[in-house]
Amino acid sequence: MDPLILSRIQFGANISFHILFPTITIALGWVLLFFKLRYNATGDTAWMRAYFTWVKVFALSFALGVVTGVTMSFQFGTNWPGYMETVGNIAGPLLAYEILTAFFLEAAFLGIMLFGFRRVPNRIHTLATVLVAGGTTVSAFWIIALNSWMQTPTGFEMRDGVAHAVDWWAIVFNPSMPYRLTHMLIASGLTVSFLISGFTALRYLAGDRSDSMWKALRTGTYLAAVLIPVQIFVGDQHGLNTLEHQPAKIAAMEANWHTGPNVPLVLFAIPDEKAKENRFEITVPNGASLILNHSADGVVPGLDQFEGNHPPVFPVFWGFRIMVGTGLLMLAVSWSAAFFLRRRRSLPKPLALLMVPMALSGWVATLAGWYTTEIGRQPWLVTGILKTADAVGPVAGSHVALTLAVYLVLYALLLVTYLGVLVHLALKAAKDGDTSPLPGVLNAPLSQPAAGE
Amino acid sequence: MTLDWPTLLPLIFAGLMGLAILIYVVLDGFDLGIGILFNFADDAEKDTMIAAIGPFWDANETWLVLAVGLLLVAFPLAHSVILTALYLPTFLLLVGLILRGVAFDFRAKVPAGRKHRWNRIFFAGSLIASLAQGYMLGVYVLGLDSGLAAMAFGALVALCLAASYAAMGAAWLIYKTEGALQQKAVRWLRSTLVLTVLGMAAVSLATPFASTRIFDKWFVWPQMLYLSPLPILSALLFVWLWRQTFHLPKENDRHSIVPFLTLAAIFALGFAGLAWSFYPFVVPDRLTIWQAASAPESLAVILVGTVFVLPIIIAYSFYSYRVFGGKAGDLTYD
Ligand code: HDD
Ligand code: HEM
Ligand code: HEM
Repeated sequence: MDPLILSRIQFGANISFHILFPTITIALGWVLLFFKLRYNATGDTAWMRAYFTWVKVFALSFALGVVTGVTMSFQFGTNWPGYMETVGNIAGPLLAYEILTAFFLEAAFLGIMLFGFRRVPNRIHTLATVLVAGGTTVSAFWIIALNSWMQTPTGFEMRDGVAHAVDWWAIVFNPSMPYRLTHMLIASGLTVSFLISGFTALRYLAGDRSDSMWKALRTGTYLAAVLIPVQIFVGDQHGLNTLEHQPAKIAAMEANWHTGPNVPLVLFAIPDEKAKENRFEITVPNGASLILNHSADGVVPGLDQFEGNHPPVFPVFWGFRIMVGTGLLMLAVSWSAAFFLRRRRSLPKPLALLMVPMALSGWVATLAGWYTTEIGRQPWLVTGILKTADAVGPVAGSHVALTLAVYLVLYALLLVTYLGVLVHLALKAAKDGDTSPLPGVLNAPLSQPAAGE
Repeated sequence: MTLDWPTLLPLIFAGLMGLAILIYVVLDGFDLGIGILFNFADDAEKDTMIAAIGPFWDANETWLVLAVGLLLVAFPLAHSVILTALYLPTFLLLVGLILRGVAFDFRAKVPAGRKHRWNRIFFAGSLIASLAQGYMLGVYVLGLDSGLAAMAFGALVALCLAASYAAMGAAWLIYKTEGALQQKAVRWLRSTLVLTVLGMAAVSLATPFASTRIFDKWFVWPQMLYLSPLPILSALLFVWLWRQTFHLPKENDRHSIVPFLTLAAIFALGFAGLAWSFYPFVVPDRLTIWQAASAPESLAVILVGTVFVLPIIIAYSFYSYRVFGGKAGDLTYD
């Protein structure tokens, strides 16, 4: 097969697998801090039990995030040499700042956060939690800045075919960056809140009614219920921003073949690129015009404007629909669960059963969203500057194919194990309830541990 | 050579990258080494060995990310040439690092019956990653040659580097453990030291003979005189360490960190020698650091950040090592 397409699949597979874990760690760090602060404020050990259950998930997700992230940093060189040659002057500093300001911070304080509870004063342990959570968020900031710059590049000039930075502020805070960062951070919050409420619902179904179970269940459900409407609003704003800067992507997202007013919102269709039309269409009249222009006769860009220069329609169209559909499902589930928890102080069994698979809904929506974003940028790797096809390396197709196959098998096995361990941890927590042993807090000044400790 | 920014910046970044690689090799060297020694320990010892690296390994691996990151951002051309030439060994390295990193966590969290499986994967991952690094070093030393001889040489360096990592791991265990495991670590150190010497000798001899340019850098008067402390000091340290291994552990466990520091010093000397051989090239005999460097203004932006952040990183790394100082016990989430 063609090394270009293989490299693309390989990069897509690697980054998709990578993003699963940062999505969890970015927000889970803050949730752990919340548990910790509640414990500090109330002295209620159930908060600390919730902390210790979820800090294990954090450790595991972090480890997977790190090993897949290390893979990512090699992938630029092995698969996309043309990328760094053309925009290395921009991408380089952003990646360097991510390593310097985020990765080391996380990695150094993770040890204290995970294993240092009895070794450092409680305050330092809380501080370590803050630094780790902050580190993951800073990391998201830099990488999203880079990704957004690739979508909507500003603040640079081209000299001899190579991008040179002229205005770093404009590069970092490029037009789509604030939207993309906010949307991503909330996506992470949603992923984590559904993960927590889903796995706690599993404990609930297994008969656990312990305090720490209720605390985790409420935290997850309420957080989700608060975040999802915000996310839908931010997503809408994000779409308007894309309309302004990447109209071809919007045309593909809406599967709109002809520029014009009164464009319907397509709910379901099989876009057919050869015939340039949608099959099996179900539409809402004027819907797209209303959403994108807030008026029924607003003009929506169509694919006919971008002949031969627009992204593949099918994956962009469906990626977007899967994301929005999952978002709406999240709204329904989290609001009804929040209702039952507040008003009835219990959870109906069917709802609990539904919440268990919803534990992974954040992943589905996040991946679908990223596929929309990234495939929607094609054929450009960096909009208007570098085409994907021009960035691929000289590695033989057979090598890429071989490594791709091994990565896929490895990732599949790791994913199965990861999920298996999460279920195992949830069931174990359900069995232990509030009786799991709790380590004491050491409020003494930092001291060298005694031998054998 | 005029000393203006476009000349200086690539030089500074080559230095920083070298520093990051050296720190990585020393720090993750002991993590990987302990992984290699894992297969020779019993179950209780395994837990202690994990506890001896648990809080550190992630930060240690980050130095690799920094090194590759600096290569990527400061010398993008070299990054592409090196990594595409070493595509398959890089891939093996990554698979090894992935397996090692996840096994670390999984072994403690899977149901008890499956722990063995992840112990074996931890060993395998550490071994694969070490071998791959050695192989990459060997092939790089020979100028990214892809002939059969280069492959054989790569294989030799792979074995020796794995052995020297194991030696680092053993030295770290001497520092972090006590009793029977510590005794065992002393024996491990002794047997792996032999291969370490062999490896360093092989690389030191092969480098000048593989390239006349490098030969001329070492074997001309008076350079030879200035450079002679490197091999002589390394040899002395080796002999000294070898003799020490017969008296370890000392009374009251005094100076138990010394073997580790000695090995680290030997690594640093060897590294300095390699750096001298290859300077000014990042890709041997093909690209100099100036030809491969990014635009000066971008390097300057990174440098500003580095100058501020690197000391802070080093400070909090020390703090973390201090918090987890002393002998390793059970590693629990508290
Ligand atoms: C939990 C995850 C999640 C949920 C529920 C949603 N999104 Fe989203 N969306 C993402 C997670 C995400 C994402 C993975 O984080 C993306 C990919 C890149 C980005 O910045 O965010 C994304 C991209 C993305 C884009 C692409 C922008 C571009 O690249 O040009 C748009 C227009 C929206 N979203 C809009 C929405 C709307 C209207 C939603 C209403 C329900 C919605 N998203 C729910
Ligand atoms: C924020 C940092 C990111 C950067 C810098 C980045 C960069 C890139 C690059 C260099 C490519 C290769 C060129 C191409 O095939 O288009 C790519 C493609 C791709 N990326 Fe991203 N990406 C990022 C985030 C993500 C995330 C989080 C996901 C998925 C969850 C993702 C999914 C994909 C997919 C599926 C492709 C292949 C698109 C195609 O070939 O049609 N990306 N991205
Ligand atoms: C193309 C792009 C990417 C590269 C090269 C990359 C690289 C890395 C590396 C090397 C690590 C390990 C850091 C360590 O050693 O501690 C890492 C972790 C991380 N990455 Fe990425 N990454 C990419 C995309 C992304 C994206 C799209 C996001 C999220 C929005 C992200 C967020 C994070 C976070 C939060 C961490 C730290 C926490 C964790 O590992 O779970 N990265 N990344």
